[in-house]
Amino acid sequence: MSSSFSLKIITEYETVNTWLAGLEKHWGGDPINDDPSRLPTLEEFCVTNAVDPDTIIKECKRTNKAGDPRISVKGRKKYSDLIDLFQGNSEGTKIEKAKRGNIVRSFLIHNAILLSPGAVKGDEK
Amino acid sequence: MEFKEVIGRRRSIRFFDPDRPVEREKIQVMLEAARLSSCAVNAHWLKAIVVQRDYLSDEMLEKLKTPVFNIQLDLAPVHIYLFADMSVVNKNEGARLKELVDVNALPPTHGWSHQFVDELVYPQILKPLTENPAYAAVAAADAGLAAGQMLLAGVDEGLGVGLNTPNPEHIHEVLGVPEEWMMIWVLLAGYPAESWDAGGQRPRPPFEEQFFEGEYGVPFERSEKVVDSLKKDKMIQKEAVPDDPERKAEIRALAERFGLPL
Repeated sequence: MSSSFSLKIITEYETVNTWLAGLEKHWGGDPINDDPSRLPTLEEFCVTNAVDPDTIIKECKRTNKAGDPRISVKGRKKYSDLIDLFQGNSEGTKIEKAKRGNIVRSFLIHNAILLSPGAVKGDEK
Repeated sequence: MEFKEVIGRRRSIRFFDPDRPVEREKIQVMLEAARLSSCAVNAHWLKAIVVQRDYLSDEMLEKLKTPVFNIQLDLAPVHIYLFADMSVVNKNEGARLKELVDVNALPPTHGWSHQFVDELVYPQILKPLTENPAYAAVAAADAGLAAGQMLLAGVDEGLGVGLNTPNPEHIHEVLGVPEEWMMIWVLLAGYPAESWDAGGQRPRPPFEEQFFEGEYGVPFERSEKVVDSLKKDKMIQKEAVPDDPERKAEIRALAERFGLPL
């Protein structure tokens, strides 16, 4: 973690608003209050990795020679690994750890960066 | 289950019960159904490898995943990897067509004989076909027909099924299949963890956009009487709709159960 790193208020980032709007459109309700751990968990991930939400999404996207938007394999892999690490270092059962990783994955998913974890099966919980 | 209901109940299942094994007999039924599918020139391009998920090492399983296809692989207890054997036509050199001549499935009344196969069909049609760029599409279409029967047989056996695309980069290495086997799909099978209805039948394009009569542009007229009859027979069922609260609740519960993002 970088000691000099700081975030704006998390809801001021465009990509966070895209995420919240996506959640609301798909699931209805109030994404912030329905799961109060959402924003703090994303914030914790960002601080842990000294990166702001908009930069995460920017690093996961690229433009090809024709000018068409593409997912950056390198960026996606980087954040997939960081999420796995964040999840692995979290406290709790496998499902509880997965929930924290999945909050960050959800942020990427609703910003058009496909990420999916393996499923947690019965004997792994 | 009646035939029309089997068609009506089929869904691409994406949440399988990972811990409920599938009876070996049911898998055989699916394979037998594939074996009996309609097949051009009796070639039988389809080859399948049945894999019990738990017999794959974690490393092998990871290699078969793609970014858009991994949860189902984790959850489905049985994977049936489907291939088209591109070498089959030139290996047989028309022999399987001659079997059809012998049993009068291709009788002389329709112009068929061993000589016809040997002198014309194999050397002038089939062999050149294997060198044609369209050959892969022919083989894939044929294997697809067989896969379709496999899916329906699985549904009839009470299983959840779905076709997916494993990572083509590693498939030959992981399963040790010959290079001339072209990957088609993996058919996943297991007992659904989601309801069999899975939210309802998937939205389809309008009937009239897909089917024509006599010539292009003249839609095949859809009879509501037939539609009603098919509803009665459970072939046409409730269609999945956006924002279905029951389906949303089901997906939320499945996400919770399997540790998946929302």
